[in-house]
Amino acid sequence: MAVVTITSQPGCPGIELAARLAGRIGFSLVDKTTFAQLSGEIDLDEARLRKVDEAILKGDLHIDPETEACVRLLQDLIAQLAEERDLVIIDRSAQGLFRNRPGTLHVRLVAPRKFRVRQVRTREGLSGREAGRLVGALEKEHARYLRFLYRLNPADPDLYDLTLRMDRLSIDQALTLMATAVDGMDLLQVPRDRIVKDLLPQVPEKRDTGRFANTAETEFARFLRFYRIPFEYESRTFNLETDANGRIVEAFTPDFYLPEQDLYIELTTMKQSLVTRKNRKVRKLRRLYPEVNIRIFYQRDFHNLMAKYGLLGSPEKSHPGFGRDEEVKSKRK
Amino acid sequence: MKMNRYGNVNARPDGIVEILITQEAIERRIAEMGKEIASAYRDCLPLLVGVLKGCVVFMSDLVKRIDIPLEMDFISVMSYAGVQSPGGAARITKDLDTVIEGRDVLLVEGIVDTGMTAGYILRNLQARAPRSLRVCTLLDKEVRRIVSIPISFRGFKVPDRFVVGYGLDYRQLYRNLPCIGILSDEIIGLDRS
Repeated sequence: MAVVTITSQPGCPGIELAARLAGRIGFSLVDKTTFAQLSGEIDLDEARLRKVDEAILKGDLHIDPETEACVRLLQDLIAQLAEERDLVIIDRSAQGLFRNRPGTLHVRLVAPRKFRVRQVRTREGLSGREAGRLVGALEKEHARYLRFLYRLNPADPDLYDLTLRMDRLSIDQALTLMATAVDGMDLLQVPRDRIVKDLLPQVPEKRDTGRFANTAETEFARFLRFYRIPFEYESRTFNLETDANGRIVEAFTPDFYLPEQDLYIELTTMKQSLVTRKNRKVRKLRRLYPEVNIRIFYQRDFHNLMAKYGLLGSPEKSHPGFGRDEEVKSKRK
Repeated sequence: MKMNRYGNVNARPDGIVEILITQEAIERRIAEMGKEIASAYRDCLPLLVGVLKGCVVFMSDLVKRIDIPLEMDFISVMSYAGVQSPGGAARITKDLDTVIEGRDVLLVEGIVDTGMTAGYILRNLQARAPRSLRVCTLLDKEVRRIVSIPISFRGFKVPDRFVVGYGLDYRQLYRNLPCIGILSDEIIGLDRS
């Protein structure tokens, strides 16, 4: 199982190379189209995705929690995809997400600026000046994204296994080199879980008392308080796996614990079809801790609950916890 | 809202995608429940406490099928939908007229799903020291339960769909349907995908 990330300087043929490489070695391609599809499946519409990109590109590292949650969730989705299949990922800071992971190949496509501007000018039908401005803007965009997510510099050579100069190599030659590297590094022999284990932090961050990860949790807490149901928030972390040294490598902290019902409740904002990883963790928890009662509240369950109280379906009573225009939970469990 | 004629249970009113339980089935089951309750409370004078407003239609038909002496009262709790402020809490908006200390109380609900309302009321009534306190519900949506509720008398178990009729409403409508119907997802703004 393997992941190939391709980071392309603007003006280099990254998109074409990624698509052809994926086709040649039988991997799944993760590109802009894939992202748009993934975003739609988790109710991140294009407008929100654009807002996410704009916030980052403004250079503001202190974006609002909701936008940050979207960004993190997209990274989480890539990680989930990597659990399921071999990937070729173009851009989207994937070299940061998978850095130093076994079973991965990180490729950077470079060329002198003059060459790249010329390529953009020809491809986009722009003047030299316009093409230059576009290349500069895209370079800044890529750099900011990687810096925001991982505090990394895209020009750092240590992030890459292979750097290819696209002013000196044809696309076919670059393709051959990459395919040879995939074979030569025995990437496909690496077990999947070695690539994706601990890809995202497993232990949740501490939060201030009384703060919830998103408005859905806030609303659910309010609902419990309304009926005077005692609850604890993130009160217990269950160890799901430790390594040979006893270090925790996987853990899970359900959102709510209702002591009077002895019931844990985990809210998830993702569509039911996409909660593979969460379901896997809950199944593991139930296997390791059979005495623990836990229930996942999916997006649909929460909507049902709000519908019962007439809090869906009209502008004055629409609920901001889930859905297309709503905050997305990014908690890493 | 266009209504079907009472008795014509095969016609679906606006917004109802499926008749889940027909009027005849409800009547049959209520007759059975009446016998069960009469048998359980034969040696005492039960107080049936109906939870407004969902219990109204069910309770009025149920008591006619219980052929022992009984008393009736009603209680009402503010709905979560009625909460105006973030810190609002459930409270009783219509309390019992009867003192229930030492009494055999049967709480009558139209539907129990999350168990939140029933749980709140049970805690409240239990504090008044009744001799016994049990629950009777026409519909049990156990799949949605958060608070465990012991149900002594149950009409029907229902699936995780939004049901209305026979006293149960959506935004105060549909209570007067003579059957139990499944409301359209479109009306309640649900996305089932």
